[in-house]
Amino acid sequence: MKISPKIVLAFLCSCALTGLAQISRFEISKDPTQIIPISVSGFTGEADSVLKFDLSVLGMELTTPDKADYLVSGTANGRLEGRLKQAGTAGHDIFARIYSSGTGRAQAHAFADDIVKEIRGTPPIFHSRIAFCRKEGASTELCVSDFDGHDLVQLTHDGSLVGTPAWSPGGRDLYYTSWKTGYTEIIEQEASTGKRTVVARHGGGNFNPVPSPDGSKVAMILSKGGSPNLYVSDRDGGNLLQLTRERDEASSPTWSPDGQQICYVLRSGHATLRKISAGGGPSVPFAVGVYGNLTSPDWSPDGKKIIFTAGSGNFTLWVAPAEGGEAEKLVAGEDPCWAPNSRTVIFTRQVNHNPVLSLLDVPTKHVKDVGQMSGSCSQPAWAR
Amino acid sequence: MKTSNLVSICFVGAALILGSAGCAHQGTGLTPIPSAIKSAPPPPPPPPIEPTPPPNLGSGTPIAPPVNDVTRSDKEGVGFGTNENRWTKVFAHHNEDSAALKPDTIYFDFDSATIKKSEDKKLEEVAKFLTSHLDDALRVEGNCDERGTEKYNLSLGERRALAAREYLANLGVDPHQIDTVTYGKSKPAVQGHNEAAWSKNRRDDFVVLTPKAPE
Repeated sequence: MKISPKIVLAFLCSCALTGLAQISRFEISKDPTQIIPISVSGFTGEADSVLKFDLSVLGMELTTPDKADYLVSGTANGRLEGRLKQAGTAGHDIFARIYSSGTGRAQAHAFADDIVKEIRGTPPIFHSRIAFCRKEGASTELCVSDFDGHDLVQLTHDGSLVGTPAWSPGGRDLYYTSWKTGYTEIIEQEASTGKRTVVARHGGGNFNPVPSPDGSKVAMILSKGGSPNLYVSDRDGGNLLQLTRERDEASSPTWSPDGQQICYVLRSGHATLRKISAGGGPSVPFAVGVYGNLTSPDWSPDGKKIIFTAGSGNFTLWVAPAEGGEAEKLVAGEDPCWAPNSRTVIFTRQVNHNPVLSLLDVPTKHVKDVGQMSGSCSQPAWAR
Repeated sequence: MKTSNLVSICFVGAALILGSAGCAHQGTGLTPIPSAIKSAPPPPPPPPIEPTPPPNLGSGTPIAPPVNDVTRSDKEGVGFGTNENRWTKVFAHHNEDSAALKPDTIYFDFDSATIKKSEDKKLEEVAKFLTSHLDDALRVEGNCDERGTEKYNLSLGERRALAAREYLANLGVDPHQIDTVTYGKSKPAVQGHNEAAWSKNRRDDFVVLTPKAPE
């Protein structure tokens, strides 16, 4: 159903006839850092709110048709009929489609994904799920929901603490740290069945599990040797390989998409970023030109960028090229996790010292709170 | 840093010598902590039938020589063993007493897991308690203030708990008697967003575990 090359050709032809203004607006829309003015009309209720939320997550600004670069219109009544037009080119659709499967929300999300594909060129994310920790009185429990906070399901009911959730590929399993025994142990929970297995329960601490991008391995922090160090095991916890052997501790591993390297934090005077081969060997600094405590790195799925948190208390997000280089400051926040499109990031930001989940469009630095769930929610993980 | 390493080496050396010579009440060497000290996940299996206790052969004469499986490395610290020991049951089924050693909670500087000189006396009290209550075990709970990210603080909290355990081991406490848990920044002792609160949250709490009577 890919019709864009024809549309582009038709559009360029019509531009030649109607003047330069349309060509320059089209060119500008391909600049990822540009906020795109867009209008949405004809929809009501849920379809309207889903479309407007999703588009604003990708750095599009809702406005009236006369001020918009793109016009979204259609109806939703059991099935969604949607149309995307370039502004100022009356009668020239970019596409017109019908969405008939799934719920009303799913149809609107699918339409929004197609709009984003045309305008931003990025792969779909609006159907995907997130996991996070939610404070319930003195306890913390693990929850999953749609990326926009809808359809929330509480996965644990242990009445203790959980932390550091991480998805295996395709959202099949969730790995997390559990305190239900009074000690830290690493648990794997099958998302579809709820079945749980203990992956690591060694003497000392067992926490911060992160499955490799192909799901065959798990990185984790274990202190059974006397200090919290970085280990890698098979997905069931067997074949343990110790990667770091430091007196001061390692934390927050993140895998390169090819599964060959791990970027992690070492406290060495202060919190520093380092990289190590997943098969073992010497570690090297990950130089990003930022001074201060650097923690919580996450490697983008396309392999190109590493986002991380800087600061002690007043946290800010920064993004650096994955091979190292000058990092760019983004927004106030902590604990970032990339969406499958390597453009959107879910993170935690503090609102009056209360953590809330928020969505960042990295190129435009536009922030949109998830907003749907109440309470203290933190440590988000995006299923990829 | 170098002087304290040297001091640590002397302590470790002294402890090893003393430990191997003086633990007459439990035989030669150290008995390790098994990974099964942590209780089973749900659904729990039916409670095991208590084995018949071995005949009392008197102090200093074990039935089989236990293997010392606690590693000590100047690089990492004092590790954890995997074999059964006299505290295995206590760690699995215990009553908790967080009051007994509450006055001995130790505090840390920001972003540090180094035991401060000011806290030495408290650790000596804890060591005295543990060596005179050999049926009890200890859980060291490491905590941080809110100014680190969650994952960073889990590791730092654990490192703080391990630092106390290592210090106690160097004072002659059997490391098998001590286990650690980190809470990161999720269990502040004092709510607040200033140094008065933060300084009270960067801490190790000591929780005494007493054996539960069989049901």
